[in-house]
Amino acid sequence: MRFFAFSAGVAILVFGLKFFNWLPLMIQVDSMRGYRDLEEVRGALQVKTIFVPSYFPQHLSWPPSRILAQRKPFPAVIMEFEKMTSKDTMLLISQSTSEDFLPEEKIRLIQVEENVTYSLKGREALLRVGVCQRNEPCSGISWKEGEYKIQVLAISTPFELIRIAESMLR
Amino acid sequence: MEFSAFLNSYPGSYIVQSFYHSVIATAIVEIAIKAWGIRNPKVRQRLLLIVIIFPIFSFPVYQIINPQRSSVYFRLESLLDSSRWLDMELWGVVPIQYGFFLMFFLTAVIFLFQELVPILRHTYESKGSGISGERAEEHSVMAQAWKDLPMEKTDIFVLEDDDVVLFSTTGRKGSIYLSSGLLRVLDKEQVRAAVAHEFAHVIRSRQPLLVILFLFRIIMFYNPIVLMEFRRIVQEDEKICDDFAVSLTRNPNALADALRKLYITEEEGMQGKTKNLMTEMEALELYSHRLNIESRIARLGIGAPNAGDNGWFATGLTIVVVLVMNYFIV
Repeated sequence: MRFFAFSAGVAILVFGLKFFNWLPLMIQVDSMRGYRDLEEVRGALQVKTIFVPSYFPQHLSWPPSRILAQRKPFPAVIMEFEKMTSKDTMLLISQSTSEDFLPEEKIRLIQVEENVTYSLKGREALLRVGVCQRNEPCSGISWKEGEYKIQVLAISTPFELIRIAESMLR
Repeated sequence: MEFSAFLNSYPGSYIVQSFYHSVIATAIVEIAIKAWGIRNPKVRQRLLLIVIIFPIFSFPVYQIINPQRSSVYFRLESLLDSSRWLDMELWGVVPIQYGFFLMFFLTAVIFLFQELVPILRHTYESKGSGISGERAEEHSVMAQAWKDLPMEKTDIFVLEDDDVVLFSTTGRKGSIYLSSGLLRVLDKEQVRAAVAHEFAHVIRSRQPLLVILFLFRIIMFYNPIVLMEFRRIVQEDEKICDDFAVSLTRNPNALADALRKLYITEEEGMQGKTKNLMTEMEALELYSHRLNIESRIARLGIGAPNAGDNGWFATGLTIVVVLVMNYFIV
């Protein structure tokens, strides 16, 4: 009986916390949350520029499988792209005005084999090549574009990654 | 450094998450106390210790277990994301995080002036104690009162003072001091109970556990939840000492009467004072003190039953729930 009373109390606490977690999303519309498409992000957050690649490898599905964005405490957009044939995230593009914002959980370079500076259409970019979680070869590139720091991570060769990154710039 | 940047740094995350973790731990401990109807002060104190000790280690340990715990993705799936509240702005202007830091700052100030300084002063005064009084064994009238109590290695002194004074100094060679004024107010059985209670404090102060606990408490100097829960632990300590005194004297009524005479009647003097913020705060503190004393007196009247297994099952389960749930509080 006492165990059940304790369990019921904990269950009420969990529901209370979920409500407490949901409440700020209702009050402050520009905190980090998911969006259906980029138009919705532009409309809701008044983000003028969202960097999207014009070159897109055929094995990836369009539109992004997940879009996360916020305006506060700093503007940030994350786009995830899955493989056409599975639910695996193969490409992750993020842009943010904060230098510390690095959403690397879905594609994380666990072993960096090469870390070089690369001239990306005249911008100084940092190119990293290595191995990701499931021992797959992956690469990442990041650079400053105006007020944004852009990061592109892909489970692919650096050549394809650079093509994607270059297609984001005019 | 900008505030938001500080919050995302390791020390900032530590401060914020330790606060949130202590809030959740307090709620779970409270649920356990209510669900099991725990009245034993030792078990209650043990449960409250979780609130003091757990937040010190929770954030670093969770980060070692999962370094990605503070990432955007983990936060989105978490049970409670502290940054959602911290990043909010009241009326789109005032960031809530400033309110949080004001709360932490005020707690630190209260801790400094109400806990750390008085304790350091007490420790210093206890060491170089210049208090002189008549040794209890030389005090003809009342020496009989505590003659049969097993108070080896503890000196008892009677001070010539008309005020009601009763206190003990801590450390290896703790002493108990009481005034001649107190001996006039209390009868022999009540003095015996009061001295036995102070003796319990002396005995407990010899345990290094309490010193370690206070050191832990210092680490959480900014945490208002720890501030409140530490005070509850101190109140539970009083109840533990009451139980110890009763186990020596076998007379709970005498201790209850002593408490009533020493603390309840003494506080009536507040009435009739001019009202201002200071006197209101003083009155509030006295009221809270009075509630504590009354709850101790009530306890002595009904006796405190122990939990069947000394509350170990409740404690174990509470620790597990606190550990698991707080992992998802970022």
